[in-house]
Amino acid sequence: MTAGPPTEARVWRSQIWTIAKSEVRRTLFSRRSFAVYLLVAMPLALMLLRAIFMPDTLRVNAPDATTEFAEVFHFFLLRFVVFFANAMIFVRLFRGEILEKSLHYTLLAPIRRDVLVLGKYLGGVLSAVLLLVPATTLTYLLVYLPHGRAGLSLMSSAAGVSSLLAYLVIVVLACFAYGALFMLAGLYFKNPMVPALIFLGWETLTPFLPALLKSLSFVHYLVSFAPVPVSLGAFALLARPVAWWVALLALLASSAILVFLASRAARRLEVTYSAE
Amino acid sequence: MRSDRIVFTDVSKFYGEVLGVNKVNLEVRPGLTGLVGPNGSGKSTLMHLMTGLLRPSRGKISVLGIAPDRPEELFRIIGYCTQYDSFPNGATGIGFLRYALSLHGYSKAEIDERAWAAIERVGLTDAARRRIAGYSKGMRQRIKLAHAHCHDPQVLVLDEPLNGLDPMGRAEMIDLFTELAREGRHVIVSSHILHEVDLISDGVIMIHGGAIVAEGEIREVRGEITSHPIQVLIRCDKPHVVASEVFRLEHVVEARILEDEGLLVRTRDADAFFTEVNRIVLAADVVVETVAPADESVHAVYDYLIGEGVGGGSA
Ligand SMILES: Nc1ncnc2c1ncn2[C@@H]1O[C@H](COP(=O)(O)OP(=O)(O)OP(=O)(O)O)[C@@H](O)[C@H]1O
Ligand SMILES: [Mg+2]
Repeated sequence: MTAGPPTEARVWRSQIWTIAKSEVRRTLFSRRSFAVYLLVAMPLALMLLRAIFMPDTLRVNAPDATTEFAEVFHFFLLRFVVFFANAMIFVRLFRGEILEKSLHYTLLAPIRRDVLVLGKYLGGVLSAVLLLVPATTLTYLLVYLPHGRAGLSLMSSAAGVSSLLAYLVIVVLACFAYGALFMLAGLYFKNPMVPALIFLGWETLTPFLPALLKSLSFVHYLVSFAPVPVSLGAFALLARPVAWWVALLALLASSAILVFLASRAARRLEVTYSAE
Repeated sequence: MRSDRIVFTDVSKFYGEVLGVNKVNLEVRPGLTGLVGPNGSGKSTLMHLMTGLLRPSRGKISVLGIAPDRPEELFRIIGYCTQYDSFPNGATGIGFLRYALSLHGYSKAEIDERAWAAIERVGLTDAARRRIAGYSKGMRQRIKLAHAHCHDPQVLVLDEPLNGLDPMGRAEMIDLFTELAREGRHVIVSSHILHEVDLISDGVIMIHGGAIVAEGEIREVRGEITSHPIQVLIRCDKPHVVASEVFRLEHVVEARILEDEGLLVRTRDADAFFTEVNRIVLAADVVVETVAPADESVHAVYDYLIGEGVGGGSA
C-alpha cells in the first residue's frame, strides 16, 4: 500500500470535507443547536422590538441609522453575539465529543490528527459563518427599516452596501480568529467557558490599554475594517489605526498559529473519559 | 517494515501517579489471543496503547510494523471495539457505520456494501435503520463489533466483547471471532473470565496489577481447574440425544435443553467433558454447530489461577 502524494492529498481533502460536513450538521441541526440559535436570535428580536416601538420623531432621522448600526454592531453583535456564538461552536468541537464519550470513534479513524483538526475547524467556521452572516445582515436591515423609504434607499446605496460588506468581513474574520482560539481552548481546558470569559474581559478592556497591549487583542485588528468609527467614551486611549492589510495579515496569521497549536495538542490527545 | 507481530517493548503507562501497566513485553502472533485479568488489571490500558488512544509513558509499540501514533496507517489494518457503551448522538446503526467508512475514503457504493455486510454479520439487519439509543445492551455490543470490523482489518482488538450478550449471542459472537481468526487475522479478546476465552484462544495473556503474569498456551493450566463446575453451551440437531448421554457422565452436574436447538451443560471437569462430547457426537451421528463455554460465574477459577483474592465483579 504505497499511496503517492497526489492520492494522499485527495484522501485528506475528502476526510476534511467529511468531518466538516458532520460538524456543520451537529452544530446547526441537532438538539444542542438550540442555545446557539437563541443567542443569534437575540439581536434580531431586540431590533425588531426597536423597529416596532420607535417614536415617529426618530423615524424621520434616517442618516442616524448608520451610527446606530455601528453601535449595535460593536457593543452587541461583535463583542457579545459573535464572540459567544464562536465560543459555543468551537469549544464543542473536541470538548463536546469528550463529554459525549464518542471521541474514540473519531480517533479510531485512519486520519492524521492534524487533518482531523483542519476538518473540525473548517466545519466550525462554516457553521459560524452560516449563522452569523445572515444574522448580521438581518440586523442591519432591521436597523434601517423603521426609517421608511429614506432608510431603505440609504441602505441600498453604494455606500450602504459597501459598509454592510465591511461589517460582514469583520464577522467572517472574527469567526476565523475566535474560532481557532476556542478550538484550542476546548482541547486544553475542562471547562473552557471560564478562560473564554476572561478573554472577553481582555477584549473589552483593550480600548483602554496602551498601544502595545492593544495589539494583543483580536478586536483591535477587527475594528480596523469598520466603515464608521465609534466613540468608546472619554477614557479610551487613541490608538494609531491599523492599515487593513496589516490587520488582515495579523488575524490570518494568528488564526493559523492557533490552528497549528491545536493540531499539536490533538496529537497528544488521549482517551481517558473516566478522568473527566 | 512489515511484520506479522504486535510487539510491546518495555511499555509502561502511568495515569499521573496511578499505574496503568508496567514494563510490558509482549509479542502477539496471528490467531485468537485471549487477554485475561480481573477488573483494573490493565486490559483496557493495554488495548488503548495498542490503538494509540493512549501514549505510552515509556517503551515502544509496533503493530505489524506500524507505530500507533500514525493513525492514518494504523486504522487501515486495525479495528477496535472499546469497552465504552456510548455512541454519537442520534446515530442510527447503519448511519454510524457509513460515517466511519466514509472516513476511510471508500466510494459510496463500497461504503454501502461494507456497512450492510458488517451489519448482517452481527445479525442486526432488521434494526439497522433504528437509532442506537433505542438498542438493547446486546445490540449495542453488536453494532460496536460491526464498527470494529467493517473495514476488514488485519488486527481486531475487542475489549470484553461478550459483555451483555446472552448465551446464544455469546456463542454466535465466539463463532464470529474464531472465523475471523481462522482467516489469518489477529483477534485479541479481553475478558475477566478465563474460561470464556481459554477454550477458543490459540494463546492467552494473563495480566494482573498492570503486569503480564502468564503468556502462551494454557492447556496445561486448564487441568488444574477440574474441581470448579463450568457451563458449556452445545448447539446441535439432536439436543435430546446428547442430553441423555451427557447426563450419565459423573462429572456433569446439570444438562438443560433450551429452545432453538440448544443444550446447556454444567460440568466439574471441562477437559474430560470435551473428550466425552466428541465421543458421543461421533457415536450418535449428531451434527454439531457449536460447543462453547457459556459461563460468567468462574471468578473462583480466576482467583485460583492468580492465587489472590481478586475477581468478583459482574454476575
Ligand atoms: N483515566 C484513568 N485515570 C486514572 N487511572 C486510570 C484511568 N484509567 C485506568 N486507570 C487505572 O489503571 C489501572 C488499569 O485500568 P484498566 O481500565 O486498564 O483495567 P481493566 O483491566 O480494563 O479493568 P476492567 O476489567 O474493569 O475493564 C486501574 O488501576 C485503573 O484504576
Ligand atoms: Mg477494561
